[in-house]
Formats: sequence, C-alpha cells, structure tokens
Amino acid sequence: MSDLTMLLAVFEDIEPASGGIEKLRDLGVADDQMNVISGIPIKATILGRRSALTRVPAIAMTGAVLGMLLGLFLIYGTPFLFPLNVGGQPIYPVPQGIIITFEMTMLGLMGFAFIGMFVDSGFPSYTPKEYIPEISDGKIAILFRCPDNEQKKFIDALKKLGAESVELAEARQL
Amino acid sequence: MSSIAKPLALPHAEEQEDPREQLMHDPRSRGEMNDMVMESMHSTTWKYWTVTGILAVIVVVCLFYAWYYLIMQGLGVAGVNRPVYWGIFLVEVVFWIGISHAGTFISAILRVLKVEGRRPFTRAAELMTTFGLVQAGISVFLHMGRVWLSYWLIPFPNERGLWPDFHSPLMWDFMAISTYLLSSTMYLFLPLIPDMAMARDRSTGWRKAAYRILAIGFRGTEGEWKNLITAMNIFAFAIIPVMFSVHTIVSWDFAMASRPGWSSSVFGPYFVIGALHSGMAAVAIVLFLIRSTMKNMKYFLRPEHFDLLGKLMLMVSMAWAYFYFNDYIVSWYGGDKWEKIVQEFTEKGPLWYLWYAMLFFNIVVPFAVLWNKKWRQTPWLLAIVGLLINAGMWLERYIIIPETLTINRMPFTWRLYVPGVEIVLTIGNFAFFFLLYMLASRFLPLIPVWEVQEGHESHTLRKIGKASIPTLSDME
Repeated sequence: MSDLTMLLAVFEDIEPASGGIEKLRDLGVADDQMNVISGIPIKATILGRRSALTRVPAIAMTGAVLGMLLGLFLIYGTPFLFPLNVGGQPIYPVPQGIIITFEMTMLGLMGFAFIGMFVDSGFPSYTPKEYIPEISDGKIAILFRCPDNEQKKFIDALKKLGAESVELAEARQL
Repeated sequence: MSSIAKPLALPHAEEQEDPREQLMHDPRSRGEMNDMVMESMHSTTWKYWTVTGILAVIVVVCLFYAWYYLIMQGLGVAGVNRPVYWGIFLVEVVFWIGISHAGTFISAILRVLKVEGRRPFTRAAELMTTFGLVQAGISVFLHMGRVWLSYWLIPFPNERGLWPDFHSPLMWDFMAISTYLLSSTMYLFLPLIPDMAMARDRSTGWRKAAYRILAIGFRGTEGEWKNLITAMNIFAFAIIPVMFSVHTIVSWDFAMASRPGWSSSVFGPYFVIGALHSGMAAVAIVLFLIRSTMKNMKYFLRPEHFDLLGKLMLMVSMAWAYFYFNDYIVSWYGGDKWEKIVQEFTEKGPLWYLWYAMLFFNIVVPFAVLWNKKWRQTPWLLAIVGLLINAGMWLERYIIIPETLTINRMPFTWRLYVPGVEIVLTIGNFAFFFLLYMLASRFLPLIPVWEVQEGHESHTLRKIGKASIPTLSDME
C-alpha cells in the first residue's frame, strides 16, 4: 500500500466545494480523511457531509451540575459551618436557596461550555497547521489525504470541478 | 365617470425601495469587507488621539486621583450621611448594570430569534456590556470606601470573625453580577475568535503576535465551527435568564428592605425593563459614534439598523411606562402614610423638577420621535433620543436611591443629600467607559465580519410579479 499525502484544495465558493467533496468520495476518500476549512460556518448538509460531533453540550451540562452543587454548598453548606441568625429567618431557607443555586448553575453551564469549546477543539494551539490565509477572505478549502502515487488524478479531478488550486498541504505558523 | 377604487397615490409615491440600501442585499466580497474593517482599526487621526488623550487625563484626574483622595480622606468627603447612606455611587452601579444589559440582551435575543438585522452591531453592543460592568464594579468599590477589605465578601473568616451571609440580597447581588460579568465576557470572546483569526491573517508586528494569541489557533475547520456555534447557542439561551436575574436581584437590594418607596413586588420586572430602556438607548449612541467617527462604518451600520433599534427602544419605552405606572398607582392608591409622603416629596419637594424631567425624557421624548420611520432611520436623531433617555434613566435611579432615602419613618433624621466628590468620580466613570471603547475600537474588529458574510450568503432577491422581494434562506 502506498503512502498517503495530504492535499489542500481551495475553492472560490460553496457550490464547487460541495461538488469537490462528492468527487473525493467517489475517488475513494473516506469522510474522516477530509476536512472542510471555511471562513464562515457552513451547515454539514449543504456540503453533503455528516455533521461533526461535539462534546460541548455534555461538558456544559457537567458544568451546570457542578455549579448547582457549588450553589447548594454556598447556601446550605456555609450556614452549617457558620450559622448566622438574621431577623429570625430560617438557617436553611428554600427561596433564598433558589437564587444562589440558579446563579451558580448558570455560571457552571456557561463556564464549562466555554471551556468545552476549548477542550474539544484543542484550543489554544500555536503549533504550525495546514492553512492558508485566503480562507478568512472567503475561500473554502478541503483538506484531504490521498495515495501518494495518485496525486495527479485527484488534482486533475478537483481542478476540473473548479478548484482554484490543489497543492500539497503545508503546515505553517498561523 | 365614477372611480371603482379609492384614490391612488401620486405616481412613484410608493415606489419600491432599492434593496441595495439594505446591508444584506448589498454584498461585497469577504476580502473587501475584511480590508474595510482592518482599515477602520488602523486609521487613527490626530482627532482620535486628542480625544483619547483628553479622556485619559480625565480618567487619571477624576477617577484615579479622586478615588485616591476619597481613600485618604474617608467617605466623609462624599455626600453620604444619615439617613442617605446610598448616594451617587449606588446610582452609578444600577445605571451601569442597566447599560450593560442591553448589549448582551440585544445580541442574545436577536441571535436566538434569528433576526438578521443584528449581524453588524452585536459586537459593539456586547463590548458595551463588558465595559459597562467594569464601571459598575468600580462604583461598588468606590461605595465600599475601604476597598482593601473587599475580600470580606469571600466565604472565608476575616480577622473579626465575620462571615458573608449568602441569605443577604447584597450577597446575591455580588454573585449575580460576578456571574454576569464572567459570562458576558466569555460571550463577547466566542464570536470574536474567527475575527481574531481574520485579523491575525492580515497583520504584522505586535498586532500579529497579539491576534495570534487571541485567535487561539482557530482555522475554521468543521469541528471548530461546530463547537463554536454550539457554545454560542448555549450562551445565547443561558445568558438571557441570567440577564433578567441580575437586574431583578439588583432591584431586590431595595425591594427587600421594607422602606417606603422601595418595598414593591413589581420592582424586579420594573428594574429589568428600565435596564433595557437605558441600555438600548446607549447602543444607539454607541452605534452613532462608531458610524460617524470610524472609517468604512457607514457601509456596515445603516439606517435600517437604527430603524430596528428605534423600534425596540419604542417598545421598551412603552413597557417602562407601563411598569412605572403600575408601581406608582399601587403606592398612590394604597394610602400608606409613608408611601404618600415619599410620593409627595418626589413630586412636590425641593427636587420636583427631577421627577418631571425623568418622565419627559423616558416617555414623552421616545413617544414623540420614534413612531416616525424616517426619524428612527436618522442616526443622529436616534442618538439624541438615546442620550435623553439615558439622562432620564439616570435621574430615575437618583430618585429611587438618594431621594427616596431622604424620607424614612423617623422625620427627625430627614436630610437632603448633597453629593460631594461623587460628582467628580461620576465624570471619571463616564470618561473611563468611553476611553475603553476608544482603545478597543482600534484593536478589536467592531464588526463581526464572518456573521455579515454568513448573512450575505443567506439573502437573495426573488422576483415576484413586478417586484424584487428580499428572500432569506435558513443557513444557520
């Protein structure tokens, strides 16, 4: 089996890019061997791809649970450590408990959604990566692996579909 | 011969508006838009530096030096004294938290409802939230006096054996504002990441290094976008109830005390709507300033966006009037002796003109101007309305806090509040807000270019009959 090479095909627009993805699939490139890089979010269905999986909601929910526990500790745990009698109010009240618990739950939810976005995307990352600055100018790039000895076949096929360039993907400092 | 229709308008009187007047139907290439935004950040004239310099001097003198003076002399140099222990510092806290509300609210609610007009101005509004909360935080510390003891708020025993009481509305306030500050800062940062990547790709020198760090390695792969959009959606939904909770809790600082003028069950929603009233008005001012002082911004911020904002301001103004009247009529009808005295003091006392000015600015001005589409679409006019509404809302907080505190159930303690060093510090607060905005405008892309391009991709014109009708595809 020949070695795999990573190529970067750059398209002007969504339409030819989605055609390019289909062509790559026809040529035997598996879905997990290609990635679309774009300057705007594009729905997976528009490109004929399956949606990327994300763990952000699960991480956020974990944060919400942890936040709720912290809130419960602050409102019910701290009076256990230092009971403060104020105006004859109960030491472990329910209505006040709702307020602090709500705030901490929401902080946990959002804080962990933020962290989850970092963790699941591998951010922050300052190592060289396959990328060209034209992507943030609106171009759409397909990063894919193909057999080393079939490079030309892939390049020709994608150029025929309107790719502006198909070149060896070079990791560069962002 | 009799006509079979109502009289028709004069020829061309109702001619179709040119769709290119709308940003979404006047697309430019992404590269061009990127260049325009980058140019707006790089263009600094002598006027910019002069204004920034003046603001910096005001901040140093009126905020930092005056604060130093306050610390060295003690709270005695402020006007707070028995019975008015909450003065302008607290007015400022409520005012700035209010300002901060609309930024996040506008961005989140319009994102959730997929309102297309939001696209170019969400960033400017979100920035307002963060900078507004900075001012609110400063005001809290000013009010504390001995700021070096602020760690007493942490659940850790201090040297006098005191513990914070999480059952206290003041503690809820601390928790809610901290939550809101953290979450709105994160919410500001998330949609900024792709724009930071854009700025990184076309910068050099120290800017490149800074943008590289802030872009955190973002390229725009499918997985990165999926995670980013998911996180943004979670924030957009979650931050709305948090926003409501923050100002409700701020209102409870007052409503939970059984004082005449404060103890009201409608205070929560009344404060929330008041926050939105002042905040949306502040967005109008900020957008006007950005549009008229920064290069290329007229392309992104158009009369249609001011129109949208004007409609929101009008709705919120009506809602504020409703809540104010609701609060007022219950106290008036209830017949409680002390409530009556407070109301009479507000309306007929030595500061009666503040009450009338508040009603005029908050209700009459928006009602008189914002019904008219042409006027709503006039940026400078909307900014003036915004300025007056903010003056009105500042007065409302002044009436609620120091003026109401003047009257209590012990008439021998009644004393009119006369602010001292607070006035200087207030000037410093406002200058600091604008200084932060001025500096940010030259470093952060104020227009979320990727969101604008996303909008361009979704919009088309469809020919129906004789007209070209704007059509929207759901690509989000």
